[in-house]
Amino acid sequence: MPPKPKKFICTFCRNDVKHIDYKDSKLLSRFVTYYRSIQSRFHTGVCLKHQKQLASAIKRARNMALIAAVRYEK
Amino acid sequence: MTKYEVMAILSNALDEAQAKEETKNSIVNKIKELGGTITFEDFWGTRGFAYMIKGEKWGYYFVVQFEIDGTKINELKRDWNIDKNLTRFMITSVDPKAPAPRSQEEIKKEWDAMEKEKKISEAESPKKGTRRPAAPAKPAAPAPVAEKAPAPAKEAKPAPKKDDVDKKLDAILEDSSLDL
Ligand SMILES: [Zn+2]
Repeated sequence: MPPKPKKFICTFCRNDVKHIDYKDSKLLSRFVTYYRSIQSRFHTGVCLKHQKQLASAIKRARNMALIAAVRYEK
Repeated sequence: MTKYEVMAILSNALDEAQAKEETKNSIVNKIKELGGTITFEDFWGTRGFAYMIKGEKWGYYFVVQFEIDGTKINELKRDWNIDKNLTRFMITSVDPKAPAPRSQEEIKKEWDAMEKEKKISEAESPKKGTRRPAAPAKPAAPAPVAEKAPAPAKEAKPAPKKDDVDKKLDAILEDSSLDL
């Protein structure tokens, strides 16, 4: 039997993050797609609890123009 | 008394000194008048918007955390909606689980330190990932970081003072990332 592959743990759980801040735009911009929509948790491996926090943080950051809501092709 | 946080954007028709005065007069003092107490203040300075707001491309950001009776939030909102110097504002309740608030400068420093560490680790140990011939694809995978990392190194080498160049490059990188 080959060894079981290691289970991927959510990056926020690994760093023991209690709350995701909407002001940290650099962090949030890692969890959006090329066209700036929220990336699904299937691709990023974020757990459900943190994905919910992430989504609300991204939406708040969009409202305050910290993060783009859409990407326009130039 | 519950904890709230306001992020306000001041219009770019003001100077930086005027903007700071505005935050004191129209935001901090109004909270105090209604019986609130301020626990945290952070003036970010200028910052470009990710998209145009009311025909403006940048503004002054200001963040305040305060404790106030929940019934008085509507009064604050009404006043700030009338204020012409406020381009936009957002009131949110502070999560009790959230850690103590940090200023934007501290967050920036942390990110800079992280990126420096990454640069060093990438430069020192490129052989760890190259067990197989197909592995060179791996370093290219974190594209946004990898693209940024080599650019400053190339430009910084000929210059004598690295710190000054790094600071300038950081400023440029931030601006360009906001234009997306
Ligand atoms: Zn998690």
